Amino acid sequence: MAGVAPGGSGSGSDIYRGNGPRLMLPVWVFIGIFLLLPVILMAVYSFLTKEFRGGVIWDFTLAAYDQFFLNRGLFGDEPATIEWTYIGIFWRSIWQAGLATVFCLLIGFPTAWYVATRPASTRSVWLFLITIPYWVNLLIRTVSMKFLLRDTGPLNEFLMWTGLISDPLSLINTNFAVQVGLFYSYLPFMVLPIYAAVERYDFSLSEAAADLYCNNWTTLRLVILPAVKPGIVAGCILVFVPSLGAFLAPDLLGGAKTFMIGSLIEEQFKGAAGNWPFGAAAAMILLTLVMVVLLIHARVQVREDR
Amino acid sequence: MKTFLTTTALAMTLATAAAAEGELKIYHWFEYIPQELLDKFAAEYDVTVTMDTYDSNEALLAALKAGKLGEYDVAVPGDYMVKIMADEGMLDTFTPDELPNFGNIQDQWVDVEFDNGRHSTIPYQWGSTSFSVNTEMYDGPMDSLSLIFDAPDELKGKINVLDTAGETLTLASLYAGIPQCTSDREQLKALNALVQGAKPDWASFGSDVAKDVLVSGDAAAGMIWSGFSAKARAEGAPVQYVFPKEGMIVWMDNVALLKDAPNRDNALKFMNFLLEPENAAAVTNYAQYTAGVDGVAEFLDPEVANSPEANPPADVKGVFVQSCPEEVQVLYDAIWTNLKK
Amino acid sequence: MSQKNIAVDVDKVVKRYGSVTALHGVSLDIREGEFFTLLGPSGCGKTTLLRCIAGFEDVSDGRVRLMGQDITPLPAHKRPVNTVFQQYALFPHMTVLENVSFGLSRRGWTARDAEGRAKQMLKLVQLSDFAKRKPGQLSGGQQQRVALARALAPEPQVLLLDEPLSALDLKLRQAVRVELKQIQRETGIAFVFVTHDQEEALTMSDRIAVMSAGHVQQIGTPREIYEAPVNRFVADFIGETNLLEVAVRQVDGDRATVVLPGGHVVEVPAASGAKVGTGHLSVRPERMSTAPGGGDLTVLVEDHVYLGTDIQLHARLDDGAPLVVRIQNGAAATIPAPGTRLALDVEAGAARLLAD
Repeated sequence: MAGVAPGGSGSGSDIYRGNGPRLMLPVWVFIGIFLLLPVILMAVYSFLTKEFRGGVIWDFTLAAYDQFFLNRGLFGDEPATIEWTYIGIFWRSIWQAGLATVFCLLIGFPTAWYVATRPASTRSVWLFLITIPYWVNLLIRTVSMKFLLRDTGPLNEFLMWTGLISDPLSLINTNFAVQVGLFYSYLPFMVLPIYAAVERYDFSLSEAAADLYCNNWTTLRLVILPAVKPGIVAGCILVFVPSLGAFLAPDLLGGAKTFMIGSLIEEQFKGAAGNWPFGAAAAMILLTLVMVVLLIHARVQVREDR
Repeated sequence: MKTFLTTTALAMTLATAAAAEGELKIYHWFEYIPQELLDKFAAEYDVTVTMDTYDSNEALLAALKAGKLGEYDVAVPGDYMVKIMADEGMLDTFTPDELPNFGNIQDQWVDVEFDNGRHSTIPYQWGSTSFSVNTEMYDGPMDSLSLIFDAPDELKGKINVLDTAGETLTLASLYAGIPQCTSDREQLKALNALVQGAKPDWASFGSDVAKDVLVSGDAAAGMIWSGFSAKARAEGAPVQYVFPKEGMIVWMDNVALLKDAPNRDNALKFMNFLLEPENAAAVTNYAQYTAGVDGVAEFLDPEVANSPEANPPADVKGVFVQSCPEEVQVLYDAIWTNLKK
Repeated sequence: MSQKNIAVDVDKVVKRYGSVTALHGVSLDIREGEFFTLLGPSGCGKTTLLRCIAGFEDVSDGRVRLMGQDITPLPAHKRPVNTVFQQYALFPHMTVLENVSFGLSRRGWTARDAEGRAKQMLKLVQLSDFAKRKPGQLSGGQQQRVALARALAPEPQVLLLDEPLSALDLKLRQAVRVELKQIQRETGIAFVFVTHDQEEALTMSDRIAVMSAGHVQQIGTPREIYEAPVNRFVADFIGETNLLEVAVRQVDGDRATVVLPGGHVVEVPAASGAKVGTGHLSVRPERMSTAPGGGDLTVLVEDHVYLGTDIQLHARLDDGAPLVVRIQNGAAATIPAPGTRLALDVEAGAARLLAD
């Protein structure tokens, strides 16, 4: 964000300049072992030859990427055309994750706003209440959501008891249920960064906007949203990225009827297909997509701050 | 004070020594062996037993391939997986005289195609894979796989199928009358068309939830293993296990001695222990499948002994899932991916 | 004066927060084109009153009229007044130019016209070279001027300024005072200026309303406020003064006869509301002079403070009450030693009987 005067950093860093690399060593080692190494390993695997029923043979090949992008027919003897199967799975996952992000934003923003505008003494209580469910394992939370949504679950029984509906709504094993699951799983990742941004927000800006003829809506649009944008962007990334690779919600709540990126990759490593290079290639393609999105965002951010 | 510390340390050393007398590391399916039986073995042989679980034969294979071989003493692969694991060199061998109870194995389960003469495995439980129907939601005839693959209106949208290509595509092949591991184009296309056409009627794909969806009523019909269906019935689900006229999958899970087992002796003791009729019956009473061991009958709970799931009619056809060669397997994988894309 | 000359008419405005009352029925008129200051210590209600005029607070009772029109029910964004905020409240994500043209765009100006007007405003506050910068890249004084330009751009009927100089350092504050007054004169817009700094109020204002505890104590020109305070609060808050307890013998309109400590009887100007009995007399330290032949008051000098232009004497009356006297420094000035008894004369008309 703007607000830092140029020249604010850099001065006085002489003390650290000499020791910097040495002090950073543990960080670099950590990043190297836990971040770079697995990615490099996966990148290498994606170019290896698959071994039947899992494993790899150390012969380099583009077969995995060929399988991902090119369709040669069921028996592999037709002229190559674009393979839409996996692109379709990716697109569905991106769409699903995008939708979940939008829902999380629509609910998360007012929630964060509400909490951040409470008196300081009650804020921590609200935050605590929001995070409580997340002390429970994700699997268990997803399963409990399944209990809630099923035909004989409390939600349907309540609606039937009120007389609003006479037959249970088919909620489970639908995209709606997947959305509910993703929303429930990742809402706090939206709320917390926005909360942090709103808490820092200078409310006199809202008064200034009202003073300059903005009604509530234009104030939100022209002043508040741009001011808390970093929190919103952080929240969206924190929801979108894990939603993209999620497989618990699609499997348990969506009935696993269609592959998501996550379950497609899982199937390659754990399932009967046992095609490790292909799983690695799919993961690399996903990683590349995410990196591109983050890079674009970083670029835009830098340009705006200038 | 010092004396006290020394004494404590000594006591702890002794305790550790007692615990380390023997170890056994089991890699097993989830929910497939009663804890009491493990405790019994641990007490009888003074062995510390630890167990990790997996949820499919493929997951077992993947884990062992990814470096878990050498960590476990025994695992419990299904029939076709025994063959795959043997081909991969993941199994150790034993001689019948290393297992005093070897003779308890029923004759029909000694010379099996996946381990002829039983050199690496012993029978654990066998059963069938078919499907069950909720009789409160459907009261029509129940004798055909058509209920899954060409569903009547009452069942449409309320069917769960197993989320493993092997089982679901094999049942589909049985229904379509197509041999397993075929490479015939027309047959594969027909199989592809069959599952594609049936999928809109299916509510979900799930293996570990196969019982729960029937108990909860989420599914009115669902592919399921025989013992799991019996358990669903025991939990109050009004389900009937169907023996389809087109045939069903028969499988046998086997306790396999893993290569590089860290505690080979204890592994053999455990396998011998499981061949004891009383212990084999304990597994059957728990898992509700059928043991491959002689002399079990007197130890079985009556409801298990007489369960409809474990007593198929004589004329029903059962087939083992075959492990296909690589060039054929990719075709089945493609059909499966195509189904879930 | 005629009704049309009144820009803001604050009519018996009451503001309550729960059980706390911040404004107790405040009434005042602000004339067109005048520099009007709300002066008082923190918590006196001056900022609350300003926010009631801006529309950031709803009044609990009373009316606010702008150019004769009742704006009490209007929300802030519908009132043709603009505000310069204490911490400026510039939009951090917009450039200086976007900040200044913001209100214009909201009022439906075309982008081109708004930009033209905004540039004109930036020229007025001498920030033309900074149009493309973000507020975060400006100094405090520059931000303050952007805030002023932003508030002036839509040509409000009244400009509200909420302690706009308090965030600046002393030197800058003094320079900006002059500038601000100049801009007010050039634009002819009525300024309502909130401050707790009496020097600021005295130097810039056409009229001042001194507030305390939710009440207006006195409204008047700086000179009236300083020289003719109505009560002890105003006399004490504005500048330095001595409050002498006196016996009031007689009050006759704006004149009163009082007995000074020491027994001298004098006639002094009286604030309206002054009563016979015990009263308070305000005497500014610089309005007294030594009277070698005996004067109105006799004091015992205790100490002195050398101020350069002045010498300040700390003394005590016979009854023990403290008195501060300022004598001008000069070649002839002598500094009485501590312990000296000193006779003082009060300048004619400079002592004033207060209402309380």
